Amino acid sequence: MGNLAVNLGGLAMKNPVTVASGTFAAGREYHDFFDVSQLGAVTTKGVSLHGWEGNASPRIAETPSGMLNSIGLQNPGVEHLKECDLPWLADVGATTIVNVSGHSFDEYVQVIEALEEAPVDAYEVNISCPNVDAGGMTIGCKASSVEEVVRRCREATARPLIVKLTPNVTDITEIARAAESAGADAISLINTLLGMAIDARRRRPVLARGVGGLSGPAVKPVALRMVWECHNAVSVPLLGMGGICTGEDAVEFMLAGATAVAVGTANFMNPRAAIEVVRGIEAYCDEQRVDNVTELIGALTW
Amino acid sequence: MTLVNERARLLANRQVGPNLFIMTLSSPRIAATIEPGQFVHMTIPAFEAHILRRPFSVYARDVEAGTVEVLYQTVGAGTAHLATLLPETGAGYESELIGPVGRGWRVPQGCARALLVGGGVGAAPLFMLAESLADANIPFEVVLGAQTQAAHVCRDRYDALVAQAQACADAAPRYATDDGSFGRAGFCTGLVEEALAEAEAAGRPYEYVAVCGPEPLMKIASAMAADHGVFCEVSLERRMACGIGACLSCVVDTVDGKKRSCVDGPVFEAEKVVW
Repeated sequence: MGNLAVNLGGLAMKNPVTVASGTFAAGREYHDFFDVSQLGAVTTKGVSLHGWEGNASPRIAETPSGMLNSIGLQNPGVEHLKECDLPWLADVGATTIVNVSGHSFDEYVQVIEALEEAPVDAYEVNISCPNVDAGGMTIGCKASSVEEVVRRCREATARPLIVKLTPNVTDITEIARAAESAGADAISLINTLLGMAIDARRRRPVLARGVGGLSGPAVKPVALRMVWECHNAVSVPLLGMGGICTGEDAVEFMLAGATAVAVGTANFMNPRAAIEVVRGIEAYCDEQRVDNVTELIGALTW
Repeated sequence: MTLVNERARLLANRQVGPNLFIMTLSSPRIAATIEPGQFVHMTIPAFEAHILRRPFSVYARDVEAGTVEVLYQTVGAGTAHLATLLPETGAGYESELIGPVGRGWRVPQGCARALLVGGGVGAAPLFMLAESLADANIPFEVVLGAQTQAAHVCRDRYDALVAQAQACADAAPRYATDDGSFGRAGFCTGLVEEALAEAEAAGRPYEYVAVCGPEPLMKIASAMAADHGVFCEVSLERRMACGIGACLSCVVDTVDGKKRSCVDGPVFEAEKVVW
């Protein structure tokens, strides 16, 4: 069996697979289906300082080969994460990435400061959620605000800092470069694509908020393209995601330049999807005689 | 409660009324453990471009045969497709079921009398509750509403169960139809109010009301129960993605904040729900 370990900007992962924030809560809900510590890392649901109520319902809509969500970063706040979820993740031996959200630059920093003594292996700064009015994507669409928030988060921690980008921009490489220059150790992409679903008979939007984030197999080609573009634009490692359902999907992201990958919407389709992606990468490496999975990173040939 | 994701074969799938179907699935682990009011989260076979599972209440289970039965109505693309699947033909169909999901009905300890109120397909998730009340020798009455006589597809089973239940002497299920084709004409809420008032007048008031059906019915029936001071539970349904409590798609507004209908429900105390 080949070696599956990777290093994502200082975060040691036993295999290249984590989960997309917001699809996995803090892991406990999936533990009936497999031991979540077997993943390269568990990425927790976005957390803010004092907790948010999230958006009105309906919050999701199924779309061809995908889904729209407009959850709106509902979360109980960083203290709850510290008291209930992080100890559990530490207990089961999971490698933990905490997804950090905020309505302001200050809030991102305050969340990180609140977590500095807690068992966290890396932070993922969420400047890409399309479902909130302040923070999220509103920050992640401009290079200047990306630089500012990443620089301030960088000053707040020495831990690996991953910055999650939105695909809802004209040139994602410009945003990736801004994050890299401000001190990001790694870049994750893509968050969801802003979309809409309409109920023709009722002449109303399906989602209460009107718009939401598109995810699932439908977005995979867009995500692959953006990972490949960023791989050619920055030197920090990439965490690739967008529609990954199988080990072969994951390998495609690695060939495009990702060092690690995240399984998101597939967790809803199959609660064992993430661990099956690990097994699928393993099987690919065995079959293709890949001794070290890092050989795949950016190994796309023409 | 440990959840399982069980491969399940579609054994039968037949139409039982207007837009109403009953499917039988082999699912021994879920059949053995599911409790009244819990549900299964199911992949729709041969429907890959539609990626999400669908939640289905369980109508009945057979522990020995290892099967669960689901009554469903065709309401969207998923159920419409499901209704076309004929397991008798070709290689058949396989699905995956996560279950048993959620908090089911919680009849109060020592409950002396219960009222079950079902509207449309809402009659099905109450049937296992009716069986458990009969087993526990707790007297109960049943009020069921549907659009037409043909849509009262649970009638035979309820009639038979109530006729056999020792605790239910002289209390045949009461039926209503929107079109007046069977039982009381109009919505079943009139029958609910009558049942509550009669029980109170007889000095044997209900101590538990369970309602499942369209949201307006649940809202009105639970308000009637509250007026009579009777503890009431309702089973709520929301669009759902993961079905295991992770994604926060299916939240319900309650006086205690937003709760997940999949694992904090689907059964909620009616007085906690913000309608």
